[in-house]
Amino acid sequence: MKEHKGPLLLAAKDIVVKFNLRGQELTAIRGASLDVYEGETVAIVGESGSGKSVFTKTFIGMLDANGKVEGGELLFHGEDMTRYDTENQWLKVRGKKIAMVFQDPMTSLNPVRMIGEQIAEVIIWHFHKSHDEAKKETVELLTKVGIDEPERRYRQYPGEFSGGMRQRVVIAAAIACRPEILICDEPTTALDVTVQAQVLNLIKALQREMGMSVVFITHDLGVVANVADWMAVMYAGKIIEYGEVGEVFHQPEHPYTKALLRSLPQLGVKGHDLYAIQGTPPNLFKEIRGDAFAPRNPDAMKIDFLEEAPAFPVSETHWARTWLLSPQAKAFREALIKKEAETRSVQTPALPFDYEQAEPLLSVRDLSVHFKLGSSRVKAVDHVTFDIYKGETLSLVGESGSGKTTIGRAIMSIYTGNVEGDISFKGRKINRKLNKKERGKLHMEIQMIFQDPMASLNDRAKVDYIISEGLYNYHLFENEQDRLAKVEKMLAEVGLTSDFMTRFPHEFSGGQRQRIGIARSLVMNPDFVVADEPISALDVSIRAQVINLLNRMKKERGLTYLFIAHDLSAVRFISDRIAVIYRGRLVELATCEELFSRPLHPYTKALLSAAPYPDPDVEKNKAVLSYHPERESREGKEWIEAFPFHFLYATREEAEKYVHENI
Amino acid sequence: MQNTLNRIEQMHDSSLFTAAVFDQAESERIGVSNYSYWRSTFRTFFKSKLVIALVALMAAILLMSFLYPLFSKVDPTKVSTRSRNWNLRPSWDHLFGTDTLGRDIFARAWYGCRNSFLLAFCIALSDVGIGMIAGAIWGYNRKLDPIMIELYNIMTNIPSTVYLVLLAYIMNTSYLTLFISMASRGWIVEARFFRNRILSIRDSEYNIASRCLGTPMFRIATRNIIPQIISLIIMEAALCIPYSIGSEVFLGFVGVGMPVDAITLGNMVNQGRASFTLHPYQMLLPTAVLCLITVAFYIIGNRFADASDPRNHL
Repeated sequence: MKEHKGPLLLAAKDIVVKFNLRGQELTAIRGASLDVYEGETVAIVGESGSGKSVFTKTFIGMLDANGKVEGGELLFHGEDMTRYDTENQWLKVRGKKIAMVFQDPMTSLNPVRMIGEQIAEVIIWHFHKSHDEAKKETVELLTKVGIDEPERRYRQYPGEFSGGMRQRVVIAAAIACRPEILICDEPTTALDVTVQAQVLNLIKALQREMGMSVVFITHDLGVVANVADWMAVMYAGKIIEYGEVGEVFHQPEHPYTKALLRSLPQLGVKGHDLYAIQGTPPNLFKEIRGDAFAPRNPDAMKIDFLEEAPAFPVSETHWARTWLLSPQAKAFREALIKKEAETRSVQTPALPFDYEQAEPLLSVRDLSVHFKLGSSRVKAVDHVTFDIYKGETLSLVGESGSGKTTIGRAIMSIYTGNVEGDISFKGRKINRKLNKKERGKLHMEIQMIFQDPMASLNDRAKVDYIISEGLYNYHLFENEQDRLAKVEKMLAEVGLTSDFMTRFPHEFSGGQRQRIGIARSLVMNPDFVVADEPISALDVSIRAQVINLLNRMKKERGLTYLFIAHDLSAVRFISDRIAVIYRGRLVELATCEELFSRPLHPYTKALLSAAPYPDPDVEKNKAVLSYHPERESREGKEWIEAFPFHFLYATREEAEKYVHENI
Repeated sequence: MQNTLNRIEQMHDSSLFTAAVFDQAESERIGVSNYSYWRSTFRTFFKSKLVIALVALMAAILLMSFLYPLFSKVDPTKVSTRSRNWNLRPSWDHLFGTDTLGRDIFARAWYGCRNSFLLAFCIALSDVGIGMIAGAIWGYNRKLDPIMIELYNIMTNIPSTVYLVLLAYIMNTSYLTLFISMASRGWIVEARFFRNRILSIRDSEYNIASRCLGTPMFRIATRNIIPQIISLIIMEAALCIPYSIGSEVFLGFVGVGMPVDAITLGNMVNQGRASFTLHPYQMLLPTAVLCLITVAFYIIGNRFADASDPRNHL
């Protein structure tokens, strides 16, 4: 059993927050409670719209103008902060005692002021120090958050910093006043995995050094496993499960927590469906009766729809709001556990893809794409060569800016004039001037699924038109009835009903929008689909749905995928082969299991070690490797087959060394 | 704790602790969002009392200026030879009084409004229409950039007054001249405005998606682009009208506007100016109408621009 490290610092009790949105009242927080103890990290996990950000914003009185706290109390040093009504009272707490780090470092820094001045300003404001003293302290802070040459960096502007560096600066500004509580609102979501690992380590180190409490908001269970001592699971504006992190991970009790942990792609068995949470997150405009998760829970009890469960204790350091823990539900619970055990045991992984007999569908040879940036030319993709075989899923993995999306778009012939090299599909070269007929045929054979379901649907068109767009273009229907039938069939295939046809995209949740986007591409009946990060913008509870949908479509329609991703957990589950790309160059290419069990290139190794794994025991003890491209030779690199079907971009000597390290 | 558990046990029927029926449709249900772009735009737009008043006033003025010439028996060009009809102060017979030739200013004001409005509508239509098409072509062709930017610089760097006066001076004064001199210049400003807007949505993901589906250019324009910028089009047109009326008045004022016998607001202001010291109402009343129209249109246009921005839809 685990004890709290220090005394209780902040206690939020039954907080209720309401927003007034376009004349309607929305209850964002429906009585959430949380205790923050000194020197500990509490993670709040939840999907978008669950209210986790809003909840923590009440701690520093920073709700938007149309929202207000309508109930509950917030005890901080014995004072109820919900009673604060002047900005002056808040100023004593905000930034000084409780500080916040936001998700996007670019929006929290002023782009036209020097980095150092922005931090020094905080110190001058709160401690009334002279400018020179503040400057000295700022330099110390910058050193502390791991920024080299702080004196020089002091005088630089946010634009000269990378994303990870900027987030370090924001953290430095937040800790400038030595706050007692640091609230981190998805601080690493916008960062690459390798950078994410560094920033998480920095936050942990600072916490230990300064004895701060940290409230960490995230949707990534891997990150929770890494940083948290305690975790709170939030759903529809309420904390539904709270406990010591290991206990919640190993013995989740609330159906939502259970489902969330079961649906992680790391736990999936290849060739089988992932466990997926059904449906869509609830809408907070309506009054929620009983357990908010019940409509999406296939194993809900009748009482879940009627009344809300109290917090039943599981152990002294773990409770959950579910009727399953009630003594009266004992019989039901035991039956449920038995059923779960049965479904879990029988799956054997599918056979790996047979490359000996595969025929290439799409070949990319020496592909380079460059962009003009002012007067300079930037090479986004640099001599990339690979084949995609019929029926496989090839994943392209790399950090942002590595050129992975550019490759996908080059295949879709979106660029003109700046593409060199050959792309051929079914033996025909496609990156040349095609006549109308050839171009049309290609559009029916190759389709693309987009990353951001919010941006990829035209929000002034109805779902009916969005899905029919391709059908209209090539007149792929006999009459109006036939078209409607096709749209309906496609909607049903992605799990949506036909009465959604007359609605506009903004009425749907992210996952539903993404399924509409998938329907739009697949209605063309393509052979090959470029899926550009189709799940990275989705909520965790929805990802499994979309992964399953993509896998099912692949099986049913014999599709071939180029899957572009930065999330390694999903990649391992979905792909047959993985290509790792770094700064526009492919550095390693191997079958999925081979790459995970025997990574050769140091960049691949760094990437694999940095990916968060949703198990606190594994995650807390892991070592993160970092990649140093400067240690490699610049000349004489080639594409080497180190093991059968395992390729590597390196010099001969380096390849030998890498192989040697792995035996 | 034991007590609470006991109490709960007493409260609930144990039959409630059995499996409920799972409804797939219910799990996918999204509480129907009440958001609609146009409804929200108009609600935000009409939230302000000032806007309601101005829109009502403009509707009244527009209606009046087009209906008055149809129903009124007063001839706005009728000159009186008797000096007792000249320069009459405002009265019930002549609401705005009469001018130096004994013409009824009230009637002339409505005729003037109608003519000025017609001219302004034509100019707004051509500016925004041509500007939008040119802007779309410009936005989609990087190669046009150097030529169009040069053209833009040249046309906007010549002071508009000099340009207008020069053109109006070269050609004979008429409605067409006035239209050509204003329309030949206004479109480039609009073109640049729309070019910037279109550039920002051209590479958005849903447009790329349409290109991947092979959607022809025409349908991309009508289904993807125009619906996104329609509120901007309305706003630009609304702002174009007071500008055009103002320019017409200015040209009339410097003496190169419409021929003297045409009734426009510009001519009325210009003619009233001659007798301003003796009979100030002859200039002040038409000017007041003019001010009302221009200010109202500017405010309506700007408020509409604010209302059409989804960020203001609270």
